[in-house]
Amino acid sequence: MENAKGRTTRLDRQFDRLRDMEEAGTYVKARGGRVLGRILANKLSLFGFVAAGVILLASMFAPLITRYDPMAIDLRHIEAPPSAVHILGTDKVGRDVFSRILYGGRISILVGLGSSLGSALIGIGIGAYTGYRGGWLDGLLLRISEIVMSFPQIILVLMLVAIAGQSLMNLMLIFTLTGWGGIYRMIRGQMLSLREEEYVTAMRAFGMNTLSICYKHILPNALGPIMVNITLSTAMFILQEAGLSFLGLGVPASIPTWGNILNAAQDLRILTTLWWMWIPVSTVISVFVLAINFIGDGLRDSTDPTQQG
Amino acid sequence: MFAYMVRRLLILIPLLFVICFLVYLGMFLTPGDPVSYMIGPEAMQNLKPAELEALKEALGLNQPFIIRFLLWLGGVMKGDFGYSLQSGVPIKNIVLARLPATLELSGVALLLSTVFGSLLGTVSALKRGSIGDNALTVAGMIGVSIPQFVFGLAAIVVFTLKLHWLPVGGRIEPDDVTFWDRFPNLVMPSLVLAATMVAGVMRYSRSSMLDSMNREFIKTARSKGLPEWRVNFVHGFRVALLPVIVLIGFRLPMLLGGSVIVEQVFQWPGIGNEFVAAVRSYNYPLIMMIAFFSVFAVLIASFLIDLLTAWLDPRVKFE
Repeated sequence: MENAKGRTTRLDRQFDRLRDMEEAGTYVKARGGRVLGRILANKLSLFGFVAAGVILLASMFAPLITRYDPMAIDLRHIEAPPSAVHILGTDKVGRDVFSRILYGGRISILVGLGSSLGSALIGIGIGAYTGYRGGWLDGLLLRISEIVMSFPQIILVLMLVAIAGQSLMNLMLIFTLTGWGGIYRMIRGQMLSLREEEYVTAMRAFGMNTLSICYKHILPNALGPIMVNITLSTAMFILQEAGLSFLGLGVPASIPTWGNILNAAQDLRILTTLWWMWIPVSTVISVFVLAINFIGDGLRDSTDPTQQG
Repeated sequence: MFAYMVRRLLILIPLLFVICFLVYLGMFLTPGDPVSYMIGPEAMQNLKPAELEALKEALGLNQPFIIRFLLWLGGVMKGDFGYSLQSGVPIKNIVLARLPATLELSGVALLLSTVFGSLLGTVSALKRGSIGDNALTVAGMIGVSIPQFVFGLAAIVVFTLKLHWLPVGGRIEPDDVTFWDRFPNLVMPSLVLAATMVAGVMRYSRSSMLDSMNREFIKTARSKGLPEWRVNFVHGFRVALLPVIVLIGFRLPMLLGGSVIVEQVFQWPGIGNEFVAAVRSYNYPLIMMIAFFSVFAVLIASFLIDLLTAWLDPRVKFE
């Protein structure tokens, strides 16, 4: 690229380099690297990645870390305090608390991540299309989301649990059905403003397929907020699962989850003297959720240029 | 203003109608004989099968679904909410008995979280970037990451079981005793409920205050020679408060939902506790009606929040 005097300046050289990178297809990668770099530069979200990663990996590879079956009842060693044999002691029926926390993490994280991905799928699926197209369908879905969101979420969830019955699958479905409103609204809002952009008008003028315009070309522009939303709602669903299981109304008690382990803490005797049955698992939940929240916050800071701090 | 209020209320009517329909549909689809929650159990026991059939006919239970729905809706409008399956007590009485406790708890929590949240957020914004600001931000994140019931349990262990300062839970009816007698029971549940809300309010009021500090009228106030505290806390804060009020409106469902778990932890005899008991015993009419009342409360509250914002913000026009 040359300017009027035929001399290449530093700026020109920089633009040349960018253009070369774009042509070679490496530009996007560099940008992704920048986002990641900015997330990692933030100490809190670095902590988030490390802590969440450690807990996630420990849950995934639970059989390698502990040799106890989380559901094996051992009535000869009930309520044993932490020792070399049982690192975090045993519970009321002699199950190893440490291995229950590890295996419980699998289910709790599955519920959190699965439900938030499910809600994102519904929210994005309908929000992107109806937000772009507008019309009666848009109006109808907006009303439906309004109705869903005017229920206090936990009351709606409990009501559906009472109707559908308690099971792991039901709980995830219920979380998904009650949780899609937020991301749907966010995507719809993004679409409403992005659809007015000139490149959209250009694509429409070329007669491109509507679905392709809205899912393939506009949607990637909202990727930042989508990632933030999925991360933060994973944290929220993990907390909700814990709360419901604590009430005894979440995942069936036979499946170990973080909330089900904490269910035992309703007993005052356990609260005061048998601390290992509830303090370690509370710490793990809190640290994991905190880590996810830090990651989400870091993502928001690094993907949203309008956010000022 | 009046026209705006009326319009805003008229929008609520179709929404409430749909929610009524869903609630009725829920009761229709769940097990249980509608007669059993439309009449009291004592009356039921003295009925002969023929009388029961006649009663069904009289109550319109042999009518098509839509007609039955409209009959039920008419009953609801007249204050006839049906009967609890378990105890046979009219649902209206159960709700009226439990409502004051929940209102007391969530009202206090709402007040505490708003006051503390907006103050801390404002201070945080004024001292932006300082150690205190960062510490508050991190503390807020920690606050929303600890499950509410763990918070409650920890509070019970520390303040009841170790220090013996506060009662473990329950509520004293406000009949003959003074507020100060009842106060110890209220402290822990309301603080725990408020603690989980403070973080959100704080975060929001911080960014809203930052936003308002960069505006022109702040410069004007400063150049008039007003003292700094007046600039920040009177001129800046008033504008920064607006989005915070809107946020509180959005969070009302959370507050009601949050009190379900807190009431359970502290055995607070409110609606949330009743609701969990109803879910545990599959008491469908009660579940549905409580869900209905909670939506109703949320809609009314958001209506009031709208009015409040309109009243506080001179830019809002009542078209």
